[in-house]
Amino acid sequence: MDVLILCAKTAVACLLIVAGGAKLSDPASFASTARLFLPFRVAWPLLSAIAVGVSLGELAVGLASLTLPAITALNALVFAIACAFVGVSALGYAFHRGRSCRCFGALSQREFDAASVLRSAVTAGIAAVALAHVGAAAALQLDATARVLLLAAAGLLALAAFTAAKARGTDSEPEPEVAS
Amino acid sequence: MKIPLYLAVAQWTLLFAFGLLLIVVYRQLGRILHKTDTAAPLGPAVGSNAASLEYSRFADDTVQYLTPGDGQPTLLAFVEPTCLSCEKLVLALGEAEHAGELSGLRVLLLTSSPKSYLKVSDAFRATRLECGRILAQATTQAYGATSTPLLVAIDRDGVVRAAAPAIQLAEVRTFGRACLLPPAAGESIPITATAPRYENDLEAATPAAGAD
Repeated sequence: MDVLILCAKTAVACLLIVAGGAKLSDPASFASTARLFLPFRVAWPLLSAIAVGVSLGELAVGLASLTLPAITALNALVFAIACAFVGVSALGYAFHRGRSCRCFGALSQREFDAASVLRSAVTAGIAAVALAHVGAAAALQLDATARVLLLAAAGLLALAAFTAAKARGTDSEPEPEVAS
Repeated sequence: MKIPLYLAVAQWTLLFAFGLLLIVVYRQLGRILHKTDTAAPLGPAVGSNAASLEYSRFADDTVQYLTPGDGQPTLLAFVEPTCLSCEKLVLALGEAEHAGELSGLRVLLLTSSPKSYLKVSDAFRATRLECGRILAQATTQAYGATSTPLLVAIDRDGVVRAAAPAIQLAEVRTFGRACLLPPAAGESIPITATAPRYENDLEAATPAAGAD
């Protein structure tokens, strides 16, 4: 059971890292998606800053969740973010069906549809599994070296996601124009 | 040393994530390469004026300057000694030349490889056709010779009459006839490419002028 919980925890953390890294490769296109959910007109620089902020936030939470497994509050935060994903997917499905969600930057061309809501719900479900208590406390005890190595690997993963999204973005379809 | 369970799980998860990203990048790379391969037009546009070119003639190691439109129809073959399809084309050209089917034409084999490379191919070593090395990358760009073999038929006015990959004798004959089409007749001979596009990147392999 512990393995299942830890798998869920690391999987969601990796998902956040990849999503954050990929989004950072093209903040402009994610900003155009973010704009869809803002009820008021926002200046382009602010919109861009929001997009970068969300991407960095995802990345930071993913890195923290992966490298600091003993902090259980992070599991709750990850679960809350996953629930937010469900909300965004549901809103996107309701009001912006067919628009690209750019959840993974250029890595994914998925759109807001019923499947995206389902995927988000599955992610939230996995994050909920990670909330469960791990029986063996020693399993979560990492020394400094292990943490640094995990952080390095996670950073590398973010970089790989960034690069892959950048490569995919080179010939992807242009996003709709964003009014400033 | 006992590894904490979390570390082991995290390692495998990270490995899995890296694997997924590797697949994404690999697929994208294939897509980009495929686009590069097919997007560029092969050969000059039919009806356009053929570009002048410089080449180093292997027979006497002299630099030759070819000006299409000097009154002599020209059949240019962009080939590489390391390309199997090119060997077939060279053999077909030799056969057509031997049978007198290319009389009145200037037939020229152009390659980006140095002279020493000719020995790797029996067909290239034995051919009696004029063969030379392209001296400027601009030549391959002007002729759109992004892959080999490429046959270009130029009439006596320097107008490209046909350009396509070719390896068979029948195709060589067709190209030969295309070279001799009357000027401004507006005719064209349909050319069906049968040769596979060889992976040899002639353009990339072309050296700077004067290099060997």
